[in-house]
Amino acid sequence: MTDSAAPIDAATAPSGRAERLPTRVYLYVSLTILAAIIVIPLLTTALGGFKTLGELRGNPFGLPSQWQWSNYGDILFSQRYWLQMGNSLLIAGLTVFLTLAFSAMAAFTFAHVKFFGSGFLLNYFLIGLMFPAATAILPLFIRIRDLGLLDTYWGVVLPQVAFGLGMSILLFRNFFRNLPSELFDAAFVDGAGYIRFFWRITLPLSRPIIATVGIISFVGSWNSYILPLIMLNSESKYPWPLGIMVYRGEFSTDWQLILAFITLTILPTVIVFFAAQKHIIAGLTAGAVK
Amino acid sequence: MSGLELRNIAKNYGAVSVIKGINLTVADGEFVALVGPSGCGKSTILRMVAGLEDITDGDILIGEKVVNELTPRERNIAMVFQSYALYPHMTVYQNMAFNLELSGKSKAEIETRVQEAARMLELEPLLDRKPSQLSGGQRQRVAMGRAVVRAPAVFLFDEPLSNLDAKLRVQMRGEIKALHKKVGVTSIYVTHDQVEAMTLADRVVVLNRGVIQQEGSPMELYRRPANLFVAGFIGSPAMNFFEATIAGGAAQATNGLRFPFVAERQLVDGHKVVVGVRPEHFASGDGAMEGEVTFVEPTGGQTFVTLDLAGHQTMVLVSSDEDIFAGNRLSVSAPLERTYVFDAETGVRLSAN
Repeated sequence: MTDSAAPIDAATAPSGRAERLPTRVYLYVSLTILAAIIVIPLLTTALGGFKTLGELRGNPFGLPSQWQWSNYGDILFSQRYWLQMGNSLLIAGLTVFLTLAFSAMAAFTFAHVKFFGSGFLLNYFLIGLMFPAATAILPLFIRIRDLGLLDTYWGVVLPQVAFGLGMSILLFRNFFRNLPSELFDAAFVDGAGYIRFFWRITLPLSRPIIATVGIISFVGSWNSYILPLIMLNSESKYPWPLGIMVYRGEFSTDWQLILAFITLTILPTVIVFFAAQKHIIAGLTAGAVK
Repeated sequence: MSGLELRNIAKNYGAVSVIKGINLTVADGEFVALVGPSGCGKSTILRMVAGLEDITDGDILIGEKVVNELTPRERNIAMVFQSYALYPHMTVYQNMAFNLELSGKSKAEIETRVQEAARMLELEPLLDRKPSQLSGGQRQRVAMGRAVVRAPAVFLFDEPLSNLDAKLRVQMRGEIKALHKKVGVTSIYVTHDQVEAMTLADRVVVLNRGVIQQEGSPMELYRRPANLFVAGFIGSPAMNFFEATIAGGAAQATNGLRFPFVAERQLVDGHKVVVGVRPEHFASGDGAMEGEVTFVEPTGGQTFVTLDLAGHQTMVLVSSDEDIFAGNRLSVSAPLERTYVFDAETGVRLSAN
């Protein structure tokens, strides 16, 4: 070795991961723009709920000159808001539960059990990915009517679960297949069959995918408009997107109340997302380092 | 505890035959290593014994009972996997207790058996940890613990050390050997590393392309390889081979070198053969063959010298007391009783040794 070469010392060398200034500026600017696209409409909506209608027209983006707490207060103390939130929660909860239960079991079968026609059956499920519920709304309506489920929660929940299955099975199946196959061998040698393996090994390891599928299905159900519109008739069963429609009819010009109402109905989704996000991130990092 | 017998077992994947009629008897308490290059079918044999893979033909007997149709659990075997396959969401204790729990043992019995296995493998301080909080060697020990608690009839090891670094591998090798001594359970150990196989096993079975090439004690395989494949596979660094023909009772190599050897039976002149000499068997100094040193790899105690013997790159092991440099000339000789000769076509050994 020659003496002229400078010694490389990890302790004194600058960190290998520090970005140069232009890169950092670029990163911050692009991240700020992206964040703004999401945050500004949310903030505008939330703040708009505190304004009077006149101020909302004159000053749509600024802070309210006088905070109209009563806008939110009236909604929070109205029976209708809580009823609609309850309906939405009930429908979303049932949808999430049934989607998770059915798609996890079906995906496990597709991932681990070889049987005649499994490929055909899987494709049959995946075809469902190509059709949104709206395209089949007429046959759906007729079927639900024949089943006598019109104007019931099940009339909304069952089609939502059915149309969510394709995507959920696909996500679950890919995740299950990526679990190390030696785990299955080990469990089999330990004396576990398929069912024990599913409950004791697969499901506990599937938290990230359960959270992902859960969120997708929850948000889908929470924002669903057309299915409840067609299937539900009595206002007492309306979820919030339908509730807003009624609201808009009554206060056709009172946008500030609509903004406040929207803000309050978005809250649960935001909360659910943050609660589940932790599991997604925990799951991702736990898998990364063997 | 019980022995194991494979009777003419075969495995086909469609038209492709991977295992072609294996016969193997493992005595009660014996430690047998299956060794061979990747794709030789050694892991498939192990998985067939475990019951994770169906057999196409033949019988597997554990303790003189045919187990072909039994599930892994009913076969009463335990397996240690290459990737350990610990359940990541369970603690060490739960990992070790899982099997006992599934077979409906009482809480107290599970507790005593897990504690006993943990003591044997020095896992006691780790029982509450998750596998992700353990080092590679510790995970390996947990995997062995999971096998030990069940008190199985047969232990199956599927390349358990190949995920560890070199130093840890040597240490764990010792622990596996010590464990076998303590527990004395019939064991089958699959590896592609011939050093591992030779150091651990009572008996080594060399496999290639789904066929047993030779079985015997480690030194038997080293001293008397049955064919060209075993000769090249066992021993490190590998044996040197020279293409040759028989002429006047000796082997005349194509590059002009002449190797006298002790023949097992009379061979006709012109018979095509392959001559094998192990690097460590060459005697350096004044010898019959001389060549230029092309490069030198010192390892400390010994030096690996690559020698150009009449155009044939030959590995020779010399004591590190001698200073040898590339470009030097070195003369070596192959001792008569350590010169192996194999049939060029069938690969069968023709020399007496």
